[in-house]
Amino acid sequence: MVEVRSVSKYFGALQAVDQASLGVRAGEVLCLVGDNGAGKSTLIKVITGFHRPDEGEILVGGQSYSSLTTLQARQLGIEAVYQDLALCDTLSASANVMLGQEPVRLKIGPVKFIDERQSAKRAGELIGRVGAAVPDLQAKVARLSGGQRQAVAIARALVQAHRLVILDEPTAALGVAQTHASLALIRNVAQQGVGVVMISHSLEDVFRVADRIVVLRLGAVVLDTPASATNRREIVSAITGMDETVGAI
Amino acid sequence: MSPAGKGAQRRLRFLPRVGARNLGLLIALAVWLVFLRFTAPFYFNFDNYRVIGLQIAFIGIGALGTSLLMIGGNIDLSIGSMMAVCATAAALAARDIGVIPAVLAGIAVGGAIGLLNGLMVWRFKISPLIITLGMLAVLRGIAILMTSGYAVTGVPDQFKILGGSRVFGLQSPVWFLFLGFVVVGAYLHRTTTGRHIYAMGSSRDAAQRVGINIRRMTIGLFLVNGLIIGLVGLLAASRLGTANPTFGVGFELEVITAVILGGVAFSGGEGSLGGVLIALVLIGNIRNGIIAVGLDSAWAQVANGALLVVAVAIDQVSQEQREKYRRLLAMRERTAQEVAGTDHASHAKQD
Ligand SMILES: Nc1ncnc2c1ncn2[C@@H]1O[C@H](COP(=O)(O)OP(=O)(O)OP(=O)(O)O)[C@@H](O)[C@H]1O
Ligand SMILES: [Mg+2]
Repeated sequence: MVEVRSVSKYFGALQAVDQASLGVRAGEVLCLVGDNGAGKSTLIKVITGFHRPDEGEILVGGQSYSSLTTLQARQLGIEAVYQDLALCDTLSASANVMLGQEPVRLKIGPVKFIDERQSAKRAGELIGRVGAAVPDLQAKVARLSGGQRQAVAIARALVQAHRLVILDEPTAALGVAQTHASLALIRNVAQQGVGVVMISHSLEDVFRVADRIVVLRLGAVVLDTPASATNRREIVSAITGMDETVGAI
Repeated sequence: MSPAGKGAQRRLRFLPRVGARNLGLLIALAVWLVFLRFTAPFYFNFDNYRVIGLQIAFIGIGALGTSLLMIGGNIDLSIGSMMAVCATAAALAARDIGVIPAVLAGIAVGGAIGLLNGLMVWRFKISPLIITLGMLAVLRGIAILMTSGYAVTGVPDQFKILGGSRVFGLQSPVWFLFLGFVVVGAYLHRTTTGRHIYAMGSSRDAAQRVGINIRRMTIGLFLVNGLIIGLVGLLAASRLGTANPTFGVGFELEVITAVILGGVAFSGGEGSLGGVLIALVLIGNIRNGIIAVGLDSAWAQVANGALLVVAVAIDQVSQEQREKYRRLLAMRERTAQEVAGTDHASHAKQD
């Protein structure tokens, strides 16, 4: 369980996040929606330790933190996959998945020899857990398709993330088929007992994967609801702040 | 993936890039040696191999440092002048203080200059090409100032042992080359740090996000390169029993040619020491072969420059090939998506 309580974040005079609270349970997919500039990215960057909140607290596994560092967040099992994926194109899929976490076969002082077999095995397992088919784990990721590359990036996040995986607009750059595959991956990740926060502008995608939907407007949480208890119209009016049934503010 | 897609993928998968590259170099080497076999039969004798081995050794040891830097996405152009400064420092120390201080001086001066270059490249995020190009001139000037432009002579005989002796018939610089390739090769290709060097050269951002310390690694690689160049300078001064401020003019060009020809990508993240070693052997044989055939030795210089251009061209073309492949992949995906899209529509109707 990862939770933020009454978190606020200011950039100078601009309040990007305003007393926002939300919680993600293990195995749950929470979709964070809101207009451009609503503060979605800023809020998740508070969770990944990229931003220090000005107010509020972050609760991870029952422990309260006034802020996290990126290192702390990673150690607590929180990982983010950004839209640009940040893969090393000239390295293999397996090297990318295990990057920074390579299994060690032999250690002589500070020199650590990589256990390549173990590395390939673990990478294969993780990509399998994500439910993607990457035909050749030793091929450079430059040769993989967009969807496969994303699977590699998510698998890499899973190496560390036993609590929470955060995806900032994971489907924005993908076509129809790849989006479907990607959403399936996201469901698979949650099924492993890991919490997932996904930011998306596509309500179609949101309703396809979300267990819960949280709407941010001007930095504040204006709606927090189970996906099954809401509909598109309610979400849209929460995002825009306009009640469509009345047709005015 | 559809069976048709799989087939296409198999057809499109070229030989692994490094493998194809090394194969090409080996073929070029074989062709050249066959040509020499008929035009310069005296070329093939052990004494000549020793000459080639010695030339390769100095360039090759330097190439270890440049390979590390370039795979990590950096470059140091000042190595030619750096080598002159290190050789001069070592020779001066040998003449005035002693042999052991001379050995330490050569390597330590290299390390200090490398560290300085690394700190500057890190601090001023301008292209390392420009910064180290400036250092190329600065260090050449310093080498001249150190000796007022004259060669350093009168070093004790013991100083000549390190670079001048033979072990099992091979000159010591050649042994240093072998040792260096084994150690650096194992480090680069087998350890976590080596993997992180590739990662950093491939995508700084990705490396940083998984927690790799980019700063320490960048500065560290410049330092290691400096230590390696210090060794080259020391070996040169020791072998010749003298040091001259004109040492190593054009050395950086020879080293970079070998490294790029060997398949290390100028943009970083790619290449292997095995390829660099083959490129070294090829370059050594071309340079000596040209002289053995009876051509003016200036042609060797022409060949060296031409090789660099060819190497960069190969690098660029294979880069473009990959780009083309990726576009093809994307196109195939789009068609697959269209098919999947209609698929999906029919599902929706059933619902
Ligand atoms: N580092 C920063 N410095 C100053 N202002 C910032 C910074 N990051 C974000 N902001 C501002 O904070 C507000 C919230 O931005 P944020 O990126 O969190 O929005 P978002 O909901 O992710 O929007 P989008 O859907 O466009 O990605 C915006 O007004 C933005 O301009
Ligand atoms: Mg955003």
